[in-house]
Amino acid sequence: MASEDEEFTMLFQDFYPSLCRFLECLLGGRAPLAQDLAQESFLQLHRTAWGTLPAGEARFWLYRVARNMAINEFRKSNTRYRLFDRVVEAMRPRARNPEQEYEEQERQTLVLEMLQTLPEDQRAALLLREQEQLSYREIGQVLNVSESKVKVDIFRARAALRERWSKVSGLSRAAGTSH
Amino acid sequence: MTCNYTEKVSSLIDGELATGEAREVERHLLNCAECEQLRADFLNLRSEIASFESSLQPTVQNRALKKILDRRAPARRFQWAFGTHAVAFATLLIVSAIIGLILYQTSNSVDPEKQHAAVQTPSPAPESAVQKPSPAESPEPAKEPEAVKEPEPTAAPKDTKEPAAPKRSAPAKRPPAREPKPGEQFASIPVPERLRSGDAETMTAMHFEKAERLLTSFRNVRLNEPGASTSVGYERKRAKELVYQNMMLRREADAAGDVQIASLLENLEPILLDIANLPARPDQDSVRVIRERVERKNIVALLRVNSMALARALD
Repeated sequence: MASEDEEFTMLFQDFYPSLCRFLECLLGGRAPLAQDLAQESFLQLHRTAWGTLPAGEARFWLYRVARNMAINEFRKSNTRYRLFDRVVEAMRPRARNPEQEYEEQERQTLVLEMLQTLPEDQRAALLLREQEQLSYREIGQVLNVSESKVKVDIFRARAALRERWSKVSGLSRAAGTSH
Repeated sequence: MTCNYTEKVSSLIDGELATGEAREVERHLLNCAECEQLRADFLNLRSEIASFESSLQPTVQNRALKKILDRRAPARRFQWAFGTHAVAFATLLIVSAIIGLILYQTSNSVDPEKQHAAVQTPSPAPESAVQKPSPAESPEPAKEPEAVKEPEPTAAPKDTKEPAAPKRSAPAKRPPAREPKPGEQFASIPVPERLRSGDAETMTAMHFEKAERLLTSFRNVRLNEPGASTSVGYERKRAKELVYQNMMLRREADAAGDVQIASLLENLEPILLDIANLPARPDQDSVRVIRERVERKNIVALLRVNSMALARALD
């Protein structure tokens, strides 16, 4: 039992932060909800599938379950979470240089906003590729789609983001010159 | 993005191209500024997305882990992932299903039970059968004829003779020939559920016609010939068939309060039974006794009159 717990703790320490990040980007920056869902995914893994999954499968299982939970959340009314997230965000401790912090915050917000313009399946595929470095086959396993669909989804997501990114940076450059 | 290689550029930066194809795309990139720019932009996007920092605090992470591990014990004990609501709902469904089943059975079992019990009385004249055993012998047969005919609901077990006797017109006149033939072979015949009055009248009229034909045929059996038993075979068979229907129709007429029809059916029933219970090779006396009873009671004429009356009423 102790060794099982140790293994689970190692898995949790390795993947909980990245699962939180994946969910946060998928949900458009709703960090508390992302953390809740990540915790719930690990809890389900611990309750139902831990010990029965082959080695190396747990990670994919976690992402699959977490993504399904996130999809369920999309369908729910989420006003409550948005309000709560803003409160949490306002109360976050800010230790670094305020200007630097602001810039970084702006950039992250921009990334999140652009990601939100993508369809959910494209967004999930791109995040699993860029943040988790999963292969197309592994992404297909997580999202339960074919490799070719993953390839197309990722390409379309990148192309769409690139176009928006160029518009946004063009706008920001224009705004900078006008100052 | 007009170049045909754009999608391959995406796959190239993901390392998803085969070696030969990757070399080909790399060569293309040397000559295509558009694709080269595309690759740079895709990589730039990658770094933006990959550098996204989660707002997760270490304390939150530790708390989450603790929460999961603390929930381990009940989770291992109960492998179900259902909540209490689901269990409560399932219980409610089961209970309501059981209640519904009980209600359904009770609502359906009242009439068939009565009917079945009435049929199980050993002879077509249940009173005589009830009169003979003592009240302690079996409570159900004594009770059920009451339920069907209900002359007096307050009748005590010892008084079962009294209320049953006056109901029938002439139970004591039953010929002794019926006594050794209780008709037990008919006891377990399931009786169909109660007929509607229109249907019952139609069936009664048809039954009377059939019975009339049977009795006429029986009356014409030639006794002096050696093959008498074979010529009675048809009448025996028909009588057996008609006995079942006679029982049902008599009960129906009793329940409907049609005294005339009930009385005629009651008189007809022992005759049908006697014919049905004749041996394979009956002696001439047995056949003659039954014939005489038929003649004495004038059953054939009564059947004809009643069947015609019923037919007219139905028209």
